[in-house]
Amino acid sequence: MDAGYHFPDPWSHGNYLRPVRTAEIAALLRMEVALDLRQRAAWAGMLLYVVSAVYVCYLAVKGGLSLATWNALFWIILLFAAFNALARSFQREDAGRQLYLYTLVDPRSVVLARALYNGGTMVVLSLLSLAIYTLLLGSDVLEDADLPQFLLAVILGGIGFASVLTLISAIAARAGNGIGLMAILGFPLVLPLLLTVMRASKLALDGVAWSVTSTYFGGLVLLDVITITLAWILFPYLWRD
Amino acid sequence: MRTFLSFLLLILSFAARAESAAPSWLESTLYGNGKINVVVAVVAVIILGIGIWLWRMDRRISKLERKS
Amino acid sequence: MRNWWKFLGIGLLLFASVAGFWVPLAPALVHVSPDRIAPGPVELTITGYNTRFGPGALVSLKNADQTICAKSVVARDAGHVTARFEIPAGMKENLTDVAVDDLIYTGALFTEELGSGIESSICPEPYPSPTGFTFPNRSILYESIRNLHFHVPMWFTMIALMGISVFQSIKVLGSNSLDQDLTAEMAVRIGLVFCVLGLVTGALWARATWGAFWTNDVKLNGAAVTGLIYVAYLVLRGSVQDAHKRARLSAIYNIFAFILLVLFLFVVPRLNAIDSLHPGNGGNSGFNDLDLDSRLRMIFYPAVLGWILLGCWMYDLRVRAARLANALDR
Repeated sequence: MDAGYHFPDPWSHGNYLRPVRTAEIAALLRMEVALDLRQRAAWAGMLLYVVSAVYVCYLAVKGGLSLATWNALFWIILLFAAFNALARSFQREDAGRQLYLYTLVDPRSVVLARALYNGGTMVVLSLLSLAIYTLLLGSDVLEDADLPQFLLAVILGGIGFASVLTLISAIAARAGNGIGLMAILGFPLVLPLLLTVMRASKLALDGVAWSVTSTYFGGLVLLDVITITLAWILFPYLWRD
Repeated sequence: MRTFLSFLLLILSFAARAESAAPSWLESTLYGNGKINVVVAVVAVIILGIGIWLWRMDRRISKLERKS
Repeated sequence: MRNWWKFLGIGLLLFASVAGFWVPLAPALVHVSPDRIAPGPVELTITGYNTRFGPGALVSLKNADQTICAKSVVARDAGHVTARFEIPAGMKENLTDVAVDDLIYTGALFTEELGSGIESSICPEPYPSPTGFTFPNRSILYESIRNLHFHVPMWFTMIALMGISVFQSIKVLGSNSLDQDLTAEMAVRIGLVFCVLGLVTGALWARATWGAFWTNDVKLNGAAVTGLIYVAYLVLRGSVQDAHKRARLSAIYNIFAFILLVLFLFVVPRLNAIDSLHPGNGGNSGFNDLDLDSRLRMIFYPAVLGWILLGCWMYDLRVRAARLANALDR
């Protein structure tokens, strides 16, 4: 498929210190938003998925939920919603259009823009999911919770999913196998993140002080930064000949 | 006689759940003999596993030799 | 000689395995019956492991800093001794230690009728008997501490092989060489063999010491995640047909996953350092003081090196077989 266009090696001499091209990234972000607005059905689909999943849980649970179960169920639903939402990120365009894109901009800007956009999508999706979840499955767990901490955990978790799954969805799209392969590749990598964020949000729900939970949040931020840096380094190699 | 006794103890140890009473010293050593049998089992598994791998490698190489 | 490291590996394995089984466990007291004492006369039966109780055994009870000597001592055999005591009322702490010769079983006896202290007696001091080179004797573990030389090196070998694989993957991205891609894949395959061995032996050991084949422990989660990641790596390889594309995609996934895995295995436990059943983490008197135990270390380090060299030998054979297969296919 790679139609004989030879990309300059992004990491060839002199390129290490090239600054992140913010203008390109901003333009790409605007393009992503425009594309998404045009395909509003996709958002409807994501939300419908979340509502259906929450409704199934609501029907299955029927009684009161313990705090730990409430927390766990929420994160499981969010996990699968994240897979659903992020699978489409690299699959929307076919290879020809992507090749054209990379003649115009540095591939690294593309991955950064996509990671940022996915992060934003996940934040919105996480908060919306939380709203739907609380609506159907009760918000009494939130009574003695440390609400700012909990929201921070939800947001950081969403961004974490986005940062790991951006590169994975790119790999899966390039391999040509779509959401199935992305789930297989992504699940083991997302698991440690999921464990950490579940513990952090459980602590937040228990109302534990900031001094204890700050290590978790710091760790999550560190994880996000490292993952996106890795994606930034590795992404150009997906498109070399 | 000893194997029957240790087998009986094993069955009894399943019956006496760990939460109810503090396990007797024999039960907690499980399989008796100070748990040396656990080490023997672990080493046996490792040798078996590597042995199986060697066997498959041998077959693979024999197939290659026959091909050439 | 090019294969010196193979002989070294086998030699180290032989040494570590023989020593791992041959070195005896240190003597220790393992059981005291009955386990409660009240003021008055009481007869205690003390069981030892690898002990050599003789007619001159000296038994005493220690509570806080006070000692009670035995009225009479009978050594039934090398591992059992019976002692008679006259327990006074009013001891300070609710757990009393039992001492036989130079061995102590701390907190062996639950003491009733506490008070402000008793008159301590002076008991004859046992002179320390040298025991030679032994392994530590820990409760719960007992002899299975020897598994340190067999189960734990499985993980070290797996990490070493995955490290080799990542190193090859990084080179693949630079050179696009299919041979290096082959070596990366084979390193992952052999690493997975050791991962499976580690999981199975770990489950066996866990059943004997913790009571269950699998628990929610951070090290076990790490092991499971590692296995899943590298199986996913093989699935990715299986789903791409073009050789060069496959090489690049699997190299990218390998590097990405390895770095995240390293983060998970070493950083996350620092965060969640609270509950873990593994010796050394959480509240367990475990491998922390054992890891510092130079007796175990002397066998453990050669064992790890030996197993890693064996793993490399297996990897070397596998790569050579694959290269031959490729050459014959052409």
